[in-house]
Amino acid sequence: MNPTPDFERFKKVVKGEEAERVPLCEVLIGYSIMSQFLGREVTPEDVASQVEFWSKAGYDYIPIPVSLMTPGKVTDESRITRLLKKMVLAKKPNETDPKAWNLEYTSFIHDRSDLDQFPWEAAAEIDYSKLDAVGDLLPSGMKVVVVSGKIFTLTWMLMGFQNFSLNVVLDPGFVRDVFMKVATIQYSVLENVLARDYVGGVWAVDDMAFGSGPMISPEAFDEHVFPWYRKMADMCHQANSLFILHSDGDLTKLMPYLIDLGVDLLQPIDPSCMDIVAMKQEYAGRICLAGNVPNEMLRKATSAEVEKYVLHMIKHAGPGGGYCVGSGNSVPDWSDFDNFMAMRNTTLNHGKYPISI
Amino acid sequence: MLEKVREAILAHKKDDIESLVERALEQGLEPNRIMEEGLIAPMDIIGEKFASGEIFVPEMMVSALIMKMGLEKVKPHLMGGQLESKGRVLIGTVKGDLHDIGKNIVAMMMEASGFEVIDLGVDLSAEDIAEKVKELKPGVLGLSALLTTTMGQIQNVLTVLTEMGLRDQVKVIVGGAPLNNEFAEKVGADGYGDNATEAVALCKKFMA
Repeated sequence: MNPTPDFERFKKVVKGEEAERVPLCEVLIGYSIMSQFLGREVTPEDVASQVEFWSKAGYDYIPIPVSLMTPGKVTDESRITRLLKKMVLAKKPNETDPKAWNLEYTSFIHDRSDLDQFPWEAAAEIDYSKLDAVGDLLPSGMKVVVVSGKIFTLTWMLMGFQNFSLNVVLDPGFVRDVFMKVATIQYSVLENVLARDYVGGVWAVDDMAFGSGPMISPEAFDEHVFPWYRKMADMCHQANSLFILHSDGDLTKLMPYLIDLGVDLLQPIDPSCMDIVAMKQEYAGRICLAGNVPNEMLRKATSAEVEKYVLHMIKHAGPGGGYCVGSGNSVPDWSDFDNFMAMRNTTLNHGKYPISI
Repeated sequence: MLEKVREAILAHKKDDIESLVERALEQGLEPNRIMEEGLIAPMDIIGEKFASGEIFVPEMMVSALIMKMGLEKVKPHLMGGQLESKGRVLIGTVKGDLHDIGKNIVAMMMEASGFEVIDLGVDLSAEDIAEKVKELKPGVLGLSALLTTTMGQIQNVLTVLTEMGLRDQVKVIVGGAPLNNEFAEKVGADGYGDNATEAVALCKKFMA
């Protein structure tokens, strides 16, 4: 089984048409999974092996983070952490506790003075080196999808969730100004990356909902966040590129807004609260849906169970395009490799259009 | 006047709450009545609206904040200058779990419902939690886990509580995205709350 990447196939399905087969779609796959697939160690620095993995595994693109804040846990090595560490140490040179500059533990913008003093210029210095390195390595047919966004997440993390929430209601002008600073940086990334012809889309990774529904009201999202995503979607579409959105949680109440602002593909359709087959029936032709294979299934089910689950989704969500196979979040290192392969192989073997399962 | 106090909480009139409570006191309304009917009662409505999806976390948090501002005004006028707590709750996230949004929301709603809440923080070992239970003797211990990889820690906490002879002295309630009633029953917790409103209801049930 030697799949070849074809971004036009992916794009065709995302736009709601049938192509050669149902695409595979992930925003993040652990290096351990990549290493097991290639039979050698793949490291974060080894971009050539990463390109080889995404290509040979059957994906039509490679996701490359180009952002102030990247998907996954905020670590000491995260760019945002390094920026915040520099900021904290400038004020408190003797500070040694890493929690003092890690957004998982603390926040930084509590009032307008904090907003004014934040090092926005330094924050806007985005690193494009990995993107450029990958651009030279892509096989024919493959493109890069740039992972950016996190406008909502980064704003509330910088403000602290409680402070952010209170101000959404009590001082929306302040919240709007923080969003403006964060979003302007993320938006500027798009202007740079979309000029590169090997970039096929932008993937905004921004968790907006709990399992019970949106983290803030749909109206507040529409006031603070969605205007930026609409601008991003418009810019992507003008460049003939895709605008993809990742968000955990129950997005049911946000779906009309996401469709209206121009999201081409929504991922991962959180399996703890949403059913991709039912959603496909409701939103077919208006937005492409990807994901929904539960991470717990990838972790501890049998490969036969994964295959059965994927077959069910291809059969019921695949026809007509507008659906891609993928995990219910990402494929972290703790996923069972055989189950990842079962998801992948089932798609390659049984995802050919017209679907005949 | 009580209606105006309630309205301030429901309609987020933060700047009005303190003067409204003062006026209610000046008019001779019983401090306990202001607290129960003016301040705590509308939080039940807020809890219901949140549970039904009519309002969202920010709206709920602001109501809880305004309610607490009103309580601070009433407090000096209560017998002994203290709020009569409906019971003590310890709350925290288990070892390995830094996600505290849900825990903070639950803590805020519990406080707004009249409970004394001691927030132990995040990433807590079973032993540390059990020591705090031993020291602070809460009526309810609330444990939160957001990850499938950390939910197993809840079982550890229950085991350590049992080993230390504390299990029958405290009701343990659990919450977090990957949890459900089935999990709570399986590990031997006393209750599961799907949201802040349900967590408050459990506290009321266990500390009535």
